[in-house]
Amino acid sequence: MLASFDTHLFWEVLRSEPYWRGALLAVALTCASIAAAFLIGFPLALGRASRQPAVRIVVFLYSWFFRATPTLLLLLIVWDVIPQQFSVFTHNWFTPFLAAFIALSLNEAAYMAEIIRAGLLAVDPGQELAGRALGMKRWQILRRVVIPQAVRIVIPPTGNEFITLLKLTSLASVISVHELLTAANEQASVSFSYREVYGAALVYYLVIVSVLMFLQSRLERRFTFRSRGVGRAPVGLAAAAHDAR
Amino acid sequence: MSDTVLRADGVHKAYNGLQVLQGVSLEVGRGEVKVIIGPSGSGKSTLLRCLALLEPIDGGAVALEDHVLSGLRERELAAHRSEIGMVFQRFNLFQNMTALGNVMVGLRDVRRLPKKEARERALEFLSRVGLADKADSYPEELSGGQQQRVAIARALVMRPKAMLFDEPTSALDVELVREVLDVMEGLARDGMTMVVVSHELRFAHHVASSILMMDEGRVIEEAPPEQFFSSPTHERTKRFLALVE
Repeated sequence: MLASFDTHLFWEVLRSEPYWRGALLAVALTCASIAAAFLIGFPLALGRASRQPAVRIVVFLYSWFFRATPTLLLLLIVWDVIPQQFSVFTHNWFTPFLAAFIALSLNEAAYMAEIIRAGLLAVDPGQELAGRALGMKRWQILRRVVIPQAVRIVIPPTGNEFITLLKLTSLASVISVHELLTAANEQASVSFSYREVYGAALVYYLVIVSVLMFLQSRLERRFTFRSRGVGRAPVGLAAAAHDAR
Repeated sequence: MSDTVLRADGVHKAYNGLQVLQGVSLEVGRGEVKVIIGPSGSGKSTLLRCLALLEPIDGGAVALEDHVLSGLRERELAAHRSEIGMVFQRFNLFQNMTALGNVMVGLRDVRRLPKKEARERALEFLSRVGLADKADSYPEELSGGQQQRVAIARALVMRPKAMLFDEPTSALDVELVREVLDVMEGLARDGMTMVVVSHELRFAHHVASSILMMDEGRVIEEAPPEQFFSSPTHERTKRFLALVE
């Protein structure tokens, strides 16, 4: 005989501290890692087109290494191997959250670099030419003309990366980061009420991704250059070339 | 007294071993309008880009008002480029800026004018090309003819010593060609020094001080319009004119 859905338990779990703390942690880890990945990925993207062969090789090796290494393995390396090698990492400040942040950022930067590079390349070269003809310097052209236009192209795939990364944060449970899915698992092993417990976790993910989608469409409109603010069709790079991990 | 604004002396240019310009010489006096015609691949656009200091040259010299500029480094070139206005076949307006923003950006970033002054001057030049009412429109909201007129205003607002036009009407629908040619004729009447690559022969006839025929990387003939059209000396010119008309 099937037990009926325990609404009371569902609500209780949904509002429980481990859940909202875990969700907050997952969102914080994702936001921080995406932001850091952007900062690392941008110079990597520029380095891909560098005139210095050494720079291009470093960028290639970075992208090769971090795309080839499974995220889970990278988490374990950062958390377990690095402190063995360098004693500074054995101190208290090196928390599981920090380790997860480092591993996820380094990993994600390899993907963000590709996305940013594609965004920069998608801007019509005529734009740079016109800037040069006006007498603008390279960095002025980059800042005023190329980057604003590349942002619009980069937003949809970055949204995809955000969602992927949000789900990847659950891997950090192996280094004892208590994010949302870890909380759900623990709850499930206590109560055996899988439907209520996992259902509540699902609700969190749905809400987080919905908020992200809303913010993304706002941002896309902001970087669509029309006076009446009517969004045009997305550029179509959204789901393209999205690596499965 | 020589009053040469722009001069090319035996300019050579090769791309990947392909000789595109093979010793082109050209002298443009103040207030002169030179129209360059020739088959595709004859080097017209390349010559214009070299005159605009957008391409390094392999031999010869480019001089602006008796200062040889072709040997300068990229950093020094930027400032000089702003003294030569360039108008492109495909307009190349900055897509992320309004019409006003496009005309202002050179004044702000290159001339370092304060915002208010830049804005006033940009508006003045937009009205000169008849587009004051489109100041707040983005390029993709404008017709091709309007975009090209904004592009002309963007170059003109820098008060260049010469204006270069690279097939300015060949990307336009026929009914939009006139409005762009009208603006260019007005400029010529006002004494602007111009080099125009164009196959608008009627425009050339009315406006040009002389017409140059290019073929295989060389100027093979130069003559005032009457003479050029009535009695071309070169066999290649005769054949080309027969094809274009």
